[in-house]
Amino acid sequence: MASPDQNDNHERFTRLLLESEPVMLRSILVAVPNLADAREIMQETAVALWRQFESYDPQRPFTNWAMGFSRIETRRFLARSQRRAQLNVKAIEVLEQEMEGNDDFAQVLERHLATCLGKLTDKQRRLVQGYYHENRSPQWLSEREGRTVEAVYKAIQRARRDLQTCIERQMRKEFS
Amino acid sequence: MNESIDWDELIQKHIDGLTSEAEAESLSDEIVGNPEVRARYLKATQIHGALTEEASLMELEGEVDEPTESSVRTGAIHRMGWPQQLAAALVGGAFFGIIGVGVAWAVGSPKSEARALPVANGNFESFVGKTKIGFPKIFGEWSGDPAEVIKRPDGTQLLRFLETANVTGKPNGGAAACNLFQLVDLSSLQQEWATDDIDTRVTLELSATFLREAAPTDKKTARSKATCTIQLYQAPPESIGQKWPNVIADALAVGNRRLLLKPNGESETISASCILDPDANLALISVNVNAMTASTTPTRLGGWYADDVKLTLIKQPTLPVRFVK
Repeated sequence: MASPDQNDNHERFTRLLLESEPVMLRSILVAVPNLADAREIMQETAVALWRQFESYDPQRPFTNWAMGFSRIETRRFLARSQRRAQLNVKAIEVLEQEMEGNDDFAQVLERHLATCLGKLTDKQRRLVQGYYHENRSPQWLSEREGRTVEAVYKAIQRARRDLQTCIERQMRKEFS
Repeated sequence: MNESIDWDELIQKHIDGLTSEAEAESLSDEIVGNPEVRARYLKATQIHGALTEEASLMELEGEVDEPTESSVRTGAIHRMGWPQQLAAALVGGAFFGIIGVGVAWAVGSPKSEARALPVANGNFESFVGKTKIGFPKIFGEWSGDPAEVIKRPDGTQLLRFLETANVTGKPNGGAAACNLFQLVDLSSLQQEWATDDIDTRVTLELSATFLREAAPTDKKTARSKATCTIQLYQAPPESIGQKWPNVIADALAVGNRRLLLKPNGESETISASCILDPDANLALISVNVNAMTASTTPTRLGGWYADDVKLTLIKQPTLPVRFVK
């Protein structure tokens, strides 16, 4: 049976992890865009964090501490993964450096994503909804939409590019 | 730089896992050597990341076999009583009938039905003053971290989040959020709405309206976010608080939705959904504001408010929800 101290620790850990998880997952997705792969890395990171939680200094931001672990687990994943073509380690290091201390776009994205989603066409929204929220495969979506799988991929990619253009426009407005 | 390559197109292909080894290597080299491509890659993957979060997409409901009421509405906080809701449903071409304590209507698809479930004091009109501190032990009362119901000059009442705290009262526990909880009894619904029909889903949708006014604490709480969460359990009501927060691992289903609001912006209504598991006998609903800090000391929240907390049971062919079991 767990001692009260262990329970307290577990509770603290759970809270901190839940708070940091979205930021960590987004960061992992930069290096490893496939969501299933990213969640696998997140899971491994959570296990590693729990094992080392005794060494966590509560005076330091948990997210910063945890991100170090997620980077290690990302490297481990890339070293063993043969599933998909991945970026090389040098590119990932450069991306991680670029991300540090530069979250202007992330903040604008958070504020305006809903608005920009509203500007997509009905077809684009249906596909984005199916692909991301319903976790439908492009094959499934192609049957529903009566389009080829390639056309579905292209349409989803087009939708993301349109969202990017829209968010960049909002960013220019905010920072001009 | 290879001018013949459309890097944006390659970035998008890579996000979907469609690049070859050679293309991924080429993209890697370009990310290292070309700041512009690097920046565009980061933006593209950040959008991809935001889209993967359920919170980003709930506003799309209504596009696919959904009730016509949008999950996210922007505008001033206003109250709409049941007669007005019925009127709105009628204007929308819906049909309705009285079922039990709620009202059922069908929108869009003849198979879709929705019914309001009672949330005790969901519009915060029944009293003014501080809400109860601590985790609720019984059904039908708001309780949690420091908050109060205030009356505005126009007579409307809102819930105001005062400061973050640890609802379990443990001195070293995290105090990142101000949570208000309510336990909702689902036992009467189990037989009535449980379905084994694989083409039909019964879901519970929690919605709440949030407003953020400017406050002296805004700089410190710049990244604060509001959330509404619904969790389903098969457990005695008093046991949820006793095991909080580790009890989350026992949840039959969870749905949540986050919202970032600028001070003095318009209010927004968000909703979170989860599948009604036939074993669930209670729903834990919560509205909260998270200061997004890993602090163990309380943070004053200033101008965050909530109103119009509603719980709706929806029976329909399909609904994009996340199911945790």
